[in-house]
Amino acid sequence: MRAAKPVERFDDLPLRVRNEALIVLGQRKLFQRLLPGAVHASIFWGFLVLFPTIVMALVSCVDRSWTIPWLGAQGWFMALVDAFVLAVLAGVLAAAWIRKVVRPKRFDGSHLGEANAILALIALVVLTLVGWHASRIAAGLNEWPAHASFLSDWVAQVIPAPRVLERIFVWAHVITILSFLAYLPYSKHLHIATAAFNVFFARTRGRGRLEPLRFDVPDEELRFGVGTVGDLTWKEMVDTFSCTECGRCQDVCPAYATGKILSPKLLIMGLRDQLLAEGPTLLAGGDLSPVVGNGVPEEMVWDCVTCGACVHECPVSIEHVDHIVDLRRNLVMLESRFPQEAESMLRDVERIGNPWGKPQGDRAAWAEGLGVRVVEEGEPAPEILYWVGCAAAYDERARKAAESTVKLLQKAGVDFAILGARESCTGDPARRMGNEYVFQSYAEQNVATLNDSGVTKIVASCPHCLNSLGNEYPDFGGRYEVMHHTELLAELVRDGRLQPKAGDTEITYHDSCYLARHNDVREDPRELVAAVGKPVEMARNRERTFCCGAGGAHMWMEERGSAINEERVREAAETGAETLAVACPFCTVMLDDGVRSSGRQLRVVDVSTLLAESLDA
Amino acid sequence: MEGADDLSLQALTLARSLGEARPVRIEGPYAPSAWAAALVGAAGADDIVGPGSDRGNEVLAHVAAQLDLPFAANVTDVAGEEVTRIRWGGTLLEEARIHAERRLLTAAPFAFEATAGPVQAQALVPNLGDAATVVEHLAPETGGGISLSAAKVVVSGGRGVGSAEGFAILEELAGLLDAAVGCSRVVTSAGWRPHADQVGQTGTKVSPDLYIACGISGATQHIAGCKGAKKLLAINDDPEATIFGHADYAVIGNLHEVVPAITAELRKARGA
Repeated sequence: MRAAKPVERFDDLPLRVRNEALIVLGQRKLFQRLLPGAVHASIFWGFLVLFPTIVMALVSCVDRSWTIPWLGAQGWFMALVDAFVLAVLAGVLAAAWIRKVVRPKRFDGSHLGEANAILALIALVVLTLVGWHASRIAAGLNEWPAHASFLSDWVAQVIPAPRVLERIFVWAHVITILSFLAYLPYSKHLHIATAAFNVFFARTRGRGRLEPLRFDVPDEELRFGVGTVGDLTWKEMVDTFSCTECGRCQDVCPAYATGKILSPKLLIMGLRDQLLAEGPTLLAGGDLSPVVGNGVPEEMVWDCVTCGACVHECPVSIEHVDHIVDLRRNLVMLESRFPQEAESMLRDVERIGNPWGKPQGDRAAWAEGLGVRVVEEGEPAPEILYWVGCAAAYDERARKAAESTVKLLQKAGVDFAILGARESCTGDPARRMGNEYVFQSYAEQNVATLNDSGVTKIVASCPHCLNSLGNEYPDFGGRYEVMHHTELLAELVRDGRLQPKAGDTEITYHDSCYLARHNDVREDPRELVAAVGKPVEMARNRERTFCCGAGGAHMWMEERGSAINEERVREAAETGAETLAVACPFCTVMLDDGVRSSGRQLRVVDVSTLLAESLDA
Repeated sequence: MEGADDLSLQALTLARSLGEARPVRIEGPYAPSAWAAALVGAAGADDIVGPGSDRGNEVLAHVAAQLDLPFAANVTDVAGEEVTRIRWGGTLLEEARIHAERRLLTAAPFAFEATAGPVQAQALVPNLGDAATVVEHLAPETGGGISLSAAKVVVSGGRGVGSAEGFAILEELAGLLDAAVGCSRVVTSAGWRPHADQVGQTGTKVSPDLYIACGISGATQHIAGCKGAKKLLAINDDPEATIFGHADYAVIGNLHEVVPAITAELRKARGA
């Protein structure tokens, strides 16, 4: 930690305190899975209650007659202690059952032996506690009314009464606790010390925002992502020490689910192992080996779609995507190492301003004949700037959403315009690939264009553009009110400015990761779907959606193993719906490809097009 | 300068327009940082001008880094510290100002007439000892048959071909046309052809005189790989297919009938 790189995580204190209360004390993220959540909460809350008894036992070893004043004599407290002892025991038994009988796949690759030892130690801690309290009652040493502690009192009836037994139990209890504490730093159970800090220092602002690299700092402070463990920020280091290998991230990872080698859990474990192995060298200022190729295999770095499912799921607020992007940044910017097929995308974004290398002059070609105003230099800004994005401007399938949106906005009488050839790539695919430099030059250029035009409100067709414009451009001086077209259209429907006709087509809506998870847009598109058809939900929906496979610049990479888009299409088809509604141009292309390659009958269409059709009907 | 090739002679024209030019020629294997160091070492000149080739731009970028000076690549016009340069893959001409006393420039290809007549260039021998990279060997592209990227004609198949065996008719046509066989991503995903045959965003970019797209719908990702073709002939049974929007010639019909018919006609025309 002393050798870690800085990162700003001391802002937004009230929000951090709130997160701490909800996520740590309230165990909110653990309860995303009901049974394992209840198991963890019973043990965690149990030990919060049992903490005073640990203090009592430690002192009692040397002074048998000492107890915590007042509290130690309260019958209700001892009743509570016994109740939570039972809760912890139930939790341990349920955990053992999950691990030994159910054996969920999320534990693949975790240290199972360690987990067994820890569960056994936890059980031993509470069993010796009960033994101690019972023997204290049996020997008549209890400061509290014996009948209150129902469990210990019952045990006291069946054990012998000598005072020495009380000494044996208190020492057994204390030795178990001390062994537990001694074992802690060497095990993944260290999370009881680190998790609370990690949650407190987790990101508070836009989850889709990446921490910008600073290129304007003195050479010795320059950081090009993570090449060795010496490049990790302190938050990234605490991340690795907070992982308990629970595998929830692995369970929701689209790459892992489709047979890629990436598991977010194994990524963090690999980083931790290398950090521990090289810690002494790092502190001594010696030569460190690269992370990629040692702790983390190179393929793993490129498998990630940056969907953020792992980050959302992680109960201890590990930020896996930041690690992935930092590793990519180093590979791309210092070594020029990346999947070869992505080269033309990176080059075209850098030189031509869009990922497919289409002429900049054709950017507004889709809008010809639609009567859309193009804001030229020096002209007044419209109330709303419609940010089209490269996909809708150049891809035939994605273009339909832009055409529909424009028609709807015109029908509702919204004052809007586009930038035409003055719009360029936001830099998102380059940034997600690790080319921070190219991203920042686009951020600066686009912010200059938008600010010069006096733009204040932007509607984006693409969730990836939306994320960059809304969450990332503020770092470069661009502050706008940014919304997605589904948000604006839902508003227009609510206000009665657009009046769709209800239909009876069964529609299942696929949440885009960058919309639903990174930017909290989940209900507006659903309102639109419900207004024009009969919604049916897929199992994985809203903030727990499953990626289409295009995120993290994978739109421009080859996929190894089975295809993520086909997996999602399978899920959509299982709902029985005839229509698969989307709200992102990349989801449109990926899922439409998935439908074609799996030979299913499913219409993939943007929500805006469904709305436009309903108005025309 | 890389030698008396055309781009270097064009750069010399630019250099002479700026003042008294001293042509130099660097000898030995390509090593960008060492070549740059040799140029910096041979100094004496106010400005350094190179050809707007990949190598010229790379060497001048190294010169700029070593001298900590700005560098303008692919310039088409220079007036004092004002330059006009080509950006964004040739779609934009930018007017820029160089904030430095010395100008580092490369001449945009074919923006200047090549200097005519023999040129006496001083030879520079770079010190390769401290070079980060030295190109010792250039391996020519290998592989059987005609390479996709160099082929004058490409016969390409998509989902409509239906199977690995379905490519036989495409192979046959390609054989008659001295063409290479390509395919779309769907085809490699399905395992019908190897990835090396894939044309598109994440495959090979081709620029043949004629691209014959058989049963390819024309997704943006595919068009990105074949937009360099001079003429595009699309064969597809779906009249709504996007590929027709990019095609110079269109045949709406089943490729399994159309392709053998073309082959047969070709054979007949050649009297075989």
